[in-house]
Amino acid sequence: MASAAPQSTLSFPRETFAKLSPHPYLLAHLQPTSDSSIPTRANGRVATQFRTPHINNGSLTHAEGSAVVRIGDTTVVCGIRAEILLANNVAGYRVDKSSTAPSSKVGYNEAKELDLLVPNIELATGCSPAFMPGQPPSTLAQSLSTRIYSLLHSSGLVDGEDLRIWYQPPDLSDQDKMEEEDEEDVPEPEVKAFWTLYIDILFISLDGNPFDAAWAGVISALKNVRLPKAYWDPDREMILCEDSVAQSKKLQLRGLPIAVTSLVFKAKEQKQAKVQKCWILVDPDTFEEGLCEESVTVVIDCGSGKTKMLGISKAGGTTIGMLEMKGIVSLAEKRWVELSDLLDR
Amino acid sequence: MANSAEPTALLSHLHRTDGSATFSQNGYTVIGAVNGPIEVQRRDELPEEAAIDVNIRPAAGVGGTRERHLESILQSTLRQIILITNFPRTLIQVTLQITSTPENDTAGSKLVQASSNLAILPALLQTAILTLLSASIPLAVTMTSVLLALNSNGKSRTTLKAPTIVQFQAADSVHVLAFTSQGELLVAESEGIFTLEDWDEVYETAKALCCDESAGEAIMQDEEENKGSLMGFVKSTLEEKVAKDLHWKD
Repeated sequence: MASAAPQSTLSFPRETFAKLSPHPYLLAHLQPTSDSSIPTRANGRVATQFRTPHINNGSLTHAEGSAVVRIGDTTVVCGIRAEILLANNVAGYRVDKSSTAPSSKVGYNEAKELDLLVPNIELATGCSPAFMPGQPPSTLAQSLSTRIYSLLHSSGLVDGEDLRIWYQPPDLSDQDKMEEEDEEDVPEPEVKAFWTLYIDILFISLDGNPFDAAWAGVISALKNVRLPKAYWDPDREMILCEDSVAQSKKLQLRGLPIAVTSLVFKAKEQKQAKVQKCWILVDPDTFEEGLCEESVTVVIDCGSGKTKMLGISKAGGTTIGMLEMKGIVSLAEKRWVELSDLLDR
Repeated sequence: MANSAEPTALLSHLHRTDGSATFSQNGYTVIGAVNGPIEVQRRDELPEEAAIDVNIRPAAGVGGTRERHLESILQSTLRQIILITNFPRTLIQVTLQITSTPENDTAGSKLVQASSNLAILPALLQTAILTLLSASIPLAVTMTSVLLALNSNGKSRTTLKAPTIVQFQAADSVHVLAFTSQGELLVAESEGIFTLEDWDEVYETAKALCCDESAGEAIMQDEEENKGSLMGFVKSTLEEKVAKDLHWKD
């Protein structure tokens, strides 16, 4: 075309356009002028396409369980260390099973009351220019830690029984007496200590969607955890652990929840425009996160054949209603199949 | 104070701030204050819109990660409600002080992170909106929010409105939903184990509780239900305040 030549002096390379006006840049990708091209996002994915996940387990040798999860350019290392908490160090801990004990109350969660699961997220590792190393934890890091913490407890993922260390006191009463009143004299087993799991999540590279990656890291690392066989030694009055790997045991996780985050991209930057075109972008990267305000995270588990939801967290806009939520959940179901395959390996 | 499920509110009682409100519901009491539009620090300044700063202070101790998380939910929500483009390069600062929380029956419970994040969220959202209304900051819409607990055993589901701490902990799932005055879903936070059908039912229940106008004829006819709707509560609270402010005219 003849008119193309003068225009070229005013046009920019793609990168400059993306930097100068990011919103029209993404919009131009999602709304191509020619019918022949498929609308994609600026990163080449279509709106409902996730990034390929990679999971590597057990790469940290000094941790009880670890995982490296890579989703696109977001990479997370999650390491789990287990420590022993003695029951007699717990203030006000009571072993009795009377009705006044706090442990008999409805909804009592031992792991939560005793803080047996301690997740922490570190973003200040130089993972992204937005988070400088050596700075105090950013709002995002604190917010993510809280979300991981509450999801760990509300999903009941870790069985409290796995974290208890029992001790069966020997029966010291003599044998003849035993036969007469057999059941009454058998001493009850007691909980001598608890395992505390320190779940540290380090972002070594962050390109959007930190929660999904962090949660996948937590799940994968928890599946990888091997707790050594621990027992109470009554002579030394301390907990001892067996060295052999054969006697160690894995955690029994209840289900396999997966988090899926989506953002809503609106055609107009003006928020108050009444009707506007919008796209739901799954698994967003940093560039898209800067342009979207509304985000939805659903946590689902399809393990038992039926889709179970473990959490919804949505804020920042009014686009997502009941219908849109259905669409997001069905996308999440597809993602669950993909990720659970990797996690089960 | 009795743990009444009925909301109560007091508007513009702090005189040194631009707007203030105290809101209590379900055992939670929150005092809110707003200042704005005020000068913004250079690094927080936004060229085309107002920056929103939300500070949440817990009833005891200093704020931790839980408060930061709640602040980020509130901040992104308030950005949708306040007409931020009307005040470029300014700051609107919302401070929310939690003054009382319902007593926890579970002995030995910790002070910090004692219960989930969700129970306090409706009270915070509601206080923030009343505070902004009291400061007459231009808003696109108003908003109402509810806390629901869902117990589901097989086929039958029971939704509990404004659950107590014990009910909250025993429930299968808990949900916080906030709707705009136009009946659009603004905030949805859910915890626990549920299905999409459960959530749909929670959505309908919450919507009926939040917005009276969009709830349809059936609820409009029922006087009691209409009175209980939260949007009605916000309206009547404001009507009362306007009537009090214009008292000198009579």
